Amino acid sequence: MSGAKHRMRSKKMRNQPSSVTYSTPGRQNGGESSHSGRRYDQTPQGRGHGPPPSGSQYQCGGWVRGHYPGGNVKGSPGYAQELPRYITASTFARARASETKAMLKAVTKTTGSCHVFGALPKHMRRRAMSHNTKRLPARLREGAQKMLEKSQRAGQKEKKEQSKSKSRKARRRHGNLLLEFNRRQRKNVWLETHIWHAKRFHMVKRWGYSLGDRPTYKCYRACYRAMSDYCLLQDMSYHCCVELQGQEGALLQALSRLTSAETGTTFAAALCLSGRRQGSVVLYRADQYPAQPLGPALFLWRPRTEGSDHRQLWIWIHPSMKQDLLPELQAVCLCSEAVPPPVPVPLPAPDPAPGPEQTAGEDQPTGRKRKRGDEGAVPAKKILGDGTRSPTTPVTWQSDSTGIVIHDLTMEIVRYRLIGPLSHSVLTDALIPASSCEEASKTEPSCFWWPEHCKEESNVSLHREQADVFSLLRGLSSTGEIPAGSVLGLTVDDPRLNIPGKKSKVEPVVQQLPGASPLWLCVPGGGEEDRVRALRLQGVPEQCCQSSLWDQAVRDNVTHNRITEQELNRMKSELLVPGSRLSPTPLQGRVPVLLVQQPGKRAGLERASWGAGWDLLLPKGWGMAFWVPLVYRGVRVAGLQEALKHSQNKGAPHFPHDFPDCPAGVRFQQEQEAELLDRYRRRPPAKRPNYIKHGCLAPFRCPWQQLAEEWEMIWREGEEGDLPSPPPGLQPQLREEATALQTQEVTSQPQSAVAVLRNRKALFTLSAWCRQTYQRHQRPSVRSAVPLMQPKQLSSESAAALHTAHPRRLVWVRVTLLKKGRPGLHAMICIPTVEDVQMLQRDRACCGPLEPRHADHFKSRVKQRRKSQKTAGASLKADSKPPDSGSAPSLTVGAEHGSAPSLTVGAEHGSAPSLTVGAEPGSAPSLTVGAEPGSAPSLTLGLWPDPLPSVTSHCTRVTLGWVTQGDFALSAGCGEALGLVSLTGLLHTLPNQPSDLKGLVLLRNPGSLQYRFAKISIEA
Amino acid sequence: MAEPCSPAPKSLAQQGACGEGAAVEMDPVEFTLRKRLPRKLPKRRNDVYVNMKTDFRAQLARCQKLLDGGGQREICVHGLGLAINRAINIALQLQAASQGALQLAANTSTVELVDDLEPEEAGLGGAEPLTHTRNNSAIHIKVYYPDPQ
Repeated sequence: MSGAKHRMRSKKMRNQPSSVTYSTPGRQNGGESSHSGRRYDQTPQGRGHGPPPSGSQYQCGGWVRGHYPGGNVKGSPGYAQELPRYITASTFARARASETKAMLKAVTKTTGSCHVFGALPKHMRRRAMSHNTKRLPARLREGAQKMLEKSQRAGQKEKKEQSKSKSRKARRRHGNLLLEFNRRQRKNVWLETHIWHAKRFHMVKRWGYSLGDRPTYKCYRACYRAMSDYCLLQDMSYHCCVELQGQEGALLQALSRLTSAETGTTFAAALCLSGRRQGSVVLYRADQYPAQPLGPALFLWRPRTEGSDHRQLWIWIHPSMKQDLLPELQAVCLCSEAVPPPVPVPLPAPDPAPGPEQTAGEDQPTGRKRKRGDEGAVPAKKILGDGTRSPTTPVTWQSDSTGIVIHDLTMEIVRYRLIGPLSHSVLTDALIPASSCEEASKTEPSCFWWPEHCKEESNVSLHREQADVFSLLRGLSSTGEIPAGSVLGLTVDDPRLNIPGKKSKVEPVVQQLPGASPLWLCVPGGGEEDRVRALRLQGVPEQCCQSSLWDQAVRDNVTHNRITEQELNRMKSELLVPGSRLSPTPLQGRVPVLLVQQPGKRAGLERASWGAGWDLLLPKGWGMAFWVPLVYRGVRVAGLQEALKHSQNKGAPHFPHDFPDCPAGVRFQQEQEAELLDRYRRRPPAKRPNYIKHGCLAPFRCPWQQLAEEWEMIWREGEEGDLPSPPPGLQPQLREEATALQTQEVTSQPQSAVAVLRNRKALFTLSAWCRQTYQRHQRPSVRSAVPLMQPKQLSSESAAALHTAHPRRLVWVRVTLLKKGRPGLHAMICIPTVEDVQMLQRDRACCGPLEPRHADHFKSRVKQRRKSQKTAGASLKADSKPPDSGSAPSLTVGAEHGSAPSLTVGAEHGSAPSLTVGAEPGSAPSLTVGAEPGSAPSLTLGLWPDPLPSVTSHCTRVTLGWVTQGDFALSAGCGEALGLVSLTGLLHTLPNQPSDLKGLVLLRNPGSLQYRFAKISIEA
Repeated sequence: MAEPCSPAPKSLAQQGACGEGAAVEMDPVEFTLRKRLPRKLPKRRNDVYVNMKTDFRAQLARCQKLLDGGGQREICVHGLGLAINRAINIALQLQAASQGALQLAANTSTVELVDDLEPEEAGLGGAEPLTHTRNNSAIHIKVYYPDPQ
């Protein structure tokens, strides 16, 4: 019977008595194995139909229709069963009686869908009958009526649940919509561009925010092109800003405990301290360097004001590390005292000014049928900033001893990131420096900040200078041309006023190099060119970095005096010439902004300053006012995925994905593992890779700790074995240091003793060691001989010294595949054997070795467990206990079963161990490590259970590390990945490799057996 | 990609008193040298920027295609630094392949390049980042069919 037929039948028979049984306890007629007395009747019993031939038998088990083959054949030899000699009349009669009863019951009960017109023959049915009972024959009307009522009642019940919400029209009305939005923002913070994104993006809730993950349209390549040719826009407002205020010395002293000069720049870097550049640092827990990093941060100092030592500093961090950083900051700044937030005073409406919002609210057209339920209630206000935080949560902490004030500015400042070489063109097109106010208005006081600001002549001249510099940006041909991290403060007009009528791309102003070639290049005015050159060399002059955005009062003023969209549109519609620019510009529309240049790819040899761009910092509330004009300049809009791709193409680690040593990174990896595991388990076992057979121990996470420890062991063995020990005078001291470091690490934070190597000098050395690899078109570089500080030559001694100085470290490496292949998430980075290297040297085009398929020794155990579970479940059912685990035929035995001591676990624990252990130890010696059945509570077919065996030596090639992000890189034209390897392993490997193949590794995806050749490079 | 630069920028560690021996007297602070990209030049359809990364044959074929099927009467081949040789080579090969139909007009120029020197240890009172400029030669070869007169 086909599936559909079967379903149909089961539907029909749903209400029917399943089988007619008539139990005859202890009255089995001699030799009869059958359960009913109906089996042995060869007497003509069907009186209704034609009498069957005496030899025919109805050997029906249950309700079988149709003919039986051979049913009409006389004396068919098919029935070998012996016929009974006699029957007992009473049993027989009773059996028939029960049959009849069942038959009667079946006849009276309605079947299947229970539609009354099921009783009608097909040719008499009409579609309209289903809703008009009058169309039915009279005899059926009553039943149909009943059915109809019943269905209506059911419908009403459903409706009642919905009726809480009003009609769509009512729901979409502005006030109600706002209320609804405000309600939904209480759980996850919405960015100001949320509605815009929600219409176009797949949204995810992450880190307490609702963020756009990726656009709903296809744009993988388009976004890449935008990044490398034009401009890609991303809303980064979810990054948290922490403001520190205090004396410069005190701030620097406090913050120096969080950073280390070994990792590169610190907060005290001269250019950053002057406020001319944005800096980036890696933060550690106080005094814990090199262990316990927290994550990367961007920081920006407010330029000094004359005669004051009071400084202001913004630290921009990822939201997932805020919870770690804030307590740390409070600790180092001794800011334990939380300042209670001011009581939210209803902000005074700008009454002295012609408050357009006010008037618009009051003279509403009377004809409108809008009724406010209660006029007294405060009308809903749009939430600006963090809607999840309760108003009483402190956001400011201050200290009496150091005088430092920490202010949490999360969601107070909007940050947009423009990525791409033409982002400066987009900015210069979209933003217009604020028009200065008229002389007349300068005298009278105003509630807006700009006229007040313009009263001082110095401010006006500063604004002119800034506007000048801003216009110079037009002369650049690429964003990467000006110094990395330059800051430019500016005050701009409301960008909504000069929004183009049509979305179009900005054409760069083509500027020629003077004297490049007189044939086709024109020489522009010399003065302009010189100033552009100065901008490129020196960056933005120091005084131009000042901006009113630093000023809390100005920010608030600007935020609360924003012209609403509605008001602006009204003003536009009243223009004499439709489409012309609004003039004079309304006074509210002067916004202080900060422009911060983002350096692109800085490390490494190729594609320098790829992905450079600008960050645009705005006061809150103005997000959409700037967003739409930017989008109208034809930029692409990116989500989280595109941001990830950006840093992937840049070769930069992305927070928190690639920071397994930071608490946020650890959390992220746990979440990622859970998600991947869940997705894996949702597929049937035959449709998913069996990772055990692929020799992949941990496809969903990377046991960094184990890796580092195992390499440590390998190193020690090697040292004790054949390695000649380093000079004896040096070694004990170094080793002592190392052991001290280790013990310190172990005692301080036992759960994560691994850390990523961020010491610049060590990275330089490593980078030079790895660079001697074979590269296409690379000549032996003459230039590399020039620098005076030549890194030490690679030898086992120098490697050992480096290892002792940095025990148990991981190193970020960039893996580039030599031939085809696409590295995936958590691909293994392995060391090639000598034969592999020879293979590559013989044949440059060879793909790489294959991993032999592994045996899955756990399969039988999983099956065993499933089976025992089934039986246990059945027995449970029989005992009519609530079956908690046995009923669901799940493939996996969840870990929570262990906690609930149900019958199943007990049953299979008794049986399984003896079976598996007895069966397998001979065949798989490696299994004994992880095969303690008691310790493996969760078994999934195809995944290695928890106590992993040695991760380094599980496969035929020794594992060095794993890839944390990898894909085919459109910028390089081959597969590229960013991974982490064990420093010990790398140092162990490098000296043994031939000099033209330094840094050669093998890369293997978790779901594949194919190793592929790749080379690693360390970018410092 | 208008990157006519031959060797990709490279980061090296250098001793402080490098370059043109500016008046700054420094402790031996280490600097990282980062080369910025050369300025982007205008990119029209008939501009070809030659680099050392792409295969020579591919670049030659690209120029040939522009002249043959691309409908261009003239193309400009630009080369900077190490790529000057290659640019000349391409132009001459194009001319040779055309049996004298193509003519060349070469121009040389100087391109100003910017290097950033970033101090390695930027602590309090650390050295300021420096910017150097240096010059590199460039060649611009116009390859064209002469006007039939």
